[in-house]
Amino acid sequence: MRELFPAKQVWGFVLSLALTAAALLVYFFNMSRATGMTIFIVTAFIQAFVQLVVFMHARETDDSKSIFATLYYAIFIALITVFGTLLCMIWGWKY
Amino acid sequence: MKVDHSQPLEYSTEQNRLNILGFWVFLGAEIMLFGTLFTSYFTLVDRTGDGPTGAEIFEIFPVLMETFLLLTSSFVIGLGIHAMRLGKKKAMLTFFVITLLLGLGFLGFEIDEFMVYYHEGATLQTSAFTSMLFTTLGTHGAHVTLGFFWGLFIIIQVAKRGITPATANKSFIFSLYWHFLDVVWIFIFTFIYLEGMTRV
Repeated sequence: MRELFPAKQVWGFVLSLALTAAALLVYFFNMSRATGMTIFIVTAFIQAFVQLVVFMHARETDDSKSIFATLYYAIFIALITVFGTLLCMIWGWKY
Repeated sequence: MKVDHSQPLEYSTEQNRLNILGFWVFLGAEIMLFGTLFTSYFTLVDRTGDGPTGAEIFEIFPVLMETFLLLTSSFVIGLGIHAMRLGKKKAMLTFFVITLLLGLGFLGFEIDEFMVYYHEGATLQTSAFTSMLFTTLGTHGAHVTLGFFWGLFIIIQVAKRGITPATANKSFIFSLYWHFLDVVWIFIFTFIYLEGMTRV
């Protein structure tokens, strides 16, 4: 029975729950918007990384390099799209 | 078909290895799909018109339940893949069934949440904000629904044919898809719900 619950994955699960709880602190306590957004960004990206490495086994095989190249490329383009659009449509450029 | 016994079963042939890499490339495209949805959501989040804002309609309890159910299902399918690598078919199938039940629970809460929003006067046509909210949540929910049926067919195949290089490969790829849905949910939970509820 014990061999069915590998320590690495159990810890990954515990860590995910802890990070979710950490993000919830922003909801339950009054914080400035900057602090809140920082906690959101940090907890969300760490949790996504835990999923990729612990649960999706992204590091285990010889294809690891290709897998991370694909991932980083996709994340890079997605972030450029999100922040580029916000810059054009919402924030504007003050000079 | 050359079988390499030094690798887990799902990687044991050249074709299997390429199937998995190919699926990662597909997930890269999925990241971009949700990237564009988040882009539109962030751009339109303040365009609420006469309709409600996020802070007015979001409720913490159902959102927490959805998060917990999906997070746990992601953990359980990870245990399923671990059991598969140990060659324990019964344990693997049990974990896969639990995963899908948790997925159903998630969908139940999400459908209920959508109905509550509808009764509160937030529909797809209410405002730019509600349009993008339902489109983003709906796209994720549709992925979970698709994943439920995909998982169902995987379970039937493994039950019938046992753990072979082919079925192990399919199961592993399905587990990647399921974990990915949880990754997307983390971002929805944080940047749509929590951000919306703490917005002043």
